[in-house]
Amino acid sequence: MSFLTGLLADSGPTIPQFGQTSSCVTKNETFCWTWFTQNWSSKVDFEARLIEHVKLTVIAVAVGFVIAFVLAVLAHRARWMVGPVTFFGSLLYTIPSLAAFQILVTITGINDWTVEIALVSYTLLILFTNTLAGLSAVSPDVVDAARGTGLTDAQILLRVELPLAVPTIIAGLRVAVVTIISLATVAAFIVPEGLGKPIFDALNAGDFNTKFIASGVLCILLALFADALFVLLQRLLTPWASVRRAR
Amino acid sequence: MKRVSLVSRTVGIAAAVSLAFAVSACSSSSGGGGGGGSTSAAATSGSSSSAPASSSSSSSAAPSMSVPSGTGNANLPAGQPGKGKPAIVMGDKNFSEEYLLGELYSQALRAKGFTVTLKGNIGSSTTINAALQSGKIDMYPEYTGVIATVLAGLADNPKSAAQTLSVATQYENKHGFAVLNPTPFQDADGLATMKAYAQQHGLKAIGDLKKVGSFTYAGPPENATRYQGVVGLKKAYGLTQVQFKPVPIGSQYQALDQGKVNSIAIFTTDPQLASGKYTVLTDTKGIFGFQQVVPVVKKSLLAKEGPAFEQTLNAVSKLLTTEAIIAMNKAVAIDQQDPSAVAKAFLQANHIS
Repeated sequence: MSFLTGLLADSGPTIPQFGQTSSCVTKNETFCWTWFTQNWSSKVDFEARLIEHVKLTVIAVAVGFVIAFVLAVLAHRARWMVGPVTFFGSLLYTIPSLAAFQILVTITGINDWTVEIALVSYTLLILFTNTLAGLSAVSPDVVDAARGTGLTDAQILLRVELPLAVPTIIAGLRVAVVTIISLATVAAFIVPEGLGKPIFDALNAGDFNTKFIASGVLCILLALFADALFVLLQRLLTPWASVRRAR
Repeated sequence: MKRVSLVSRTVGIAAAVSLAFAVSACSSSSGGGGGGGSTSAAATSGSSSSAPASSSSSSSAAPSMSVPSGTGNANLPAGQPGKGKPAIVMGDKNFSEEYLLGELYSQALRAKGFTVTLKGNIGSSTTINAALQSGKIDMYPEYTGVIATVLAGLADNPKSAAQTLSVATQYENKHGFAVLNPTPFQDADGLATMKAYAQQHGLKAIGDLKKVGSFTYAGPPENATRYQGVVGLKKAYGLTQVQFKPVPIGSQYQALDQGKVNSIAIFTTDPQLASGKYTVLTDTKGIFGFQQVVPVVKKSLLAKEGPAFEQTLNAVSKLLTTEAIIAMNKAVAIDQQDPSAVAKAFLQANHIS
């Protein structure tokens, strides 16, 4: 064979041996555990993809929360803002994610900014609506009573309205974080980061089942974990609620 | 216990949402991509080890229509002429063959001393073209037929590979980009049968199917109404007795293996073709269009990088025969090897890096 290859060297390139693969992989069986363990912290590197995914999600939800929170507090005092902000938030929320990414590429380029701008825009409506709903749900009698004890508007907001709004705000955060964990997989359409990368790679290279399942399960576990964290946070922030539950 | 059930309900929603996104992402990415490349590996299962496909193998001979090889100098420059030249940002599209092309071109340039950043998996042709024209990347590998029909917006495929290349070159030149030498391989639509079936009926070109009389042809549902499918087979080749069987994209090979159909729609660089079980019939009338790969490079950058830059890219393109790209596609899409490692092995074997 080597003699033959040598003879034909002029007529075409040398095609080398590209390495061995297990039959589980070449047959594309449902889940190749050995392959997954080999790719956990190298090659596909699911560990690194998971960390990137967490990073994409945390930045998007944190930035989105700051913006939405400020807008909601302002709108709570200046009700005329509610309409325009909700309209704008709904507009952003309804743009299909793939279209949003594609349009943003021409403006902000192929980088994390594009991804984060899009992801943040999807958190705004949920977080704004929930924060505002939480603040609005505080009974006027409670606010009147607080004012009667001599609290200023700022004190009422910080000591009365916000603590009472915590459960609704956290409910919003839970929806936002789970949404962003799933949406962030689409971000790999633009930037090869996060758990979406192995999903897109598998779609584009032989529909390799193990990659789909591994990425999907990691996303689900991450969403579970994040959701549980917020439940815990809510219990810490609203100790009175657990006292009520205990009775 | 109540809390647990609440959490799992939320996660159920999350899973459903991500599935929906994954599905929508899938359909749009495969719709926009050019030249194909997304095929199911599940279809082939026979050959488990990655046997070296020697260049003398005649098994999966793809259409051997004459294709232009370009006019640029393709001699590999010696030494490291790229040292000190301006840095280059290269992009590639969203399927495995493009990942390979991006790795092949960028690694070869780096071996010659050039500074290259590779931005992989940018998206479909329209996405990456927008990135190129807005200056976010300097170059990327593209298919000539895709430039002609998708980017330049031609309604029909040009009638020859040379004409396709010329239309593509005109389009890119008009926008300030140069088109370098095309690859010998094409990733076009095609038609394949089992090797035994082709031998039995003496089939070499698509037109030979007339000898068979009535035959079945499986492909994605849209092939029923495409010129690059049933319409072309009937109009250009007079194959009026073709019976179309729609199958989901990627499962054609399975249908053929199981003897459910006589012929299938393929892409000419599908990794499944590496098995040698299939015969690709030559498209003498050009109904499937022409899809050679060309590096598309910003003109102003090309001038700054000097002749060695273009020569290195042309030297790589020259090596990319149909058999070479099928073997590499198989290593990536079926054996799940890393595209960068596959590209490296290929370049080393051919003394480029």
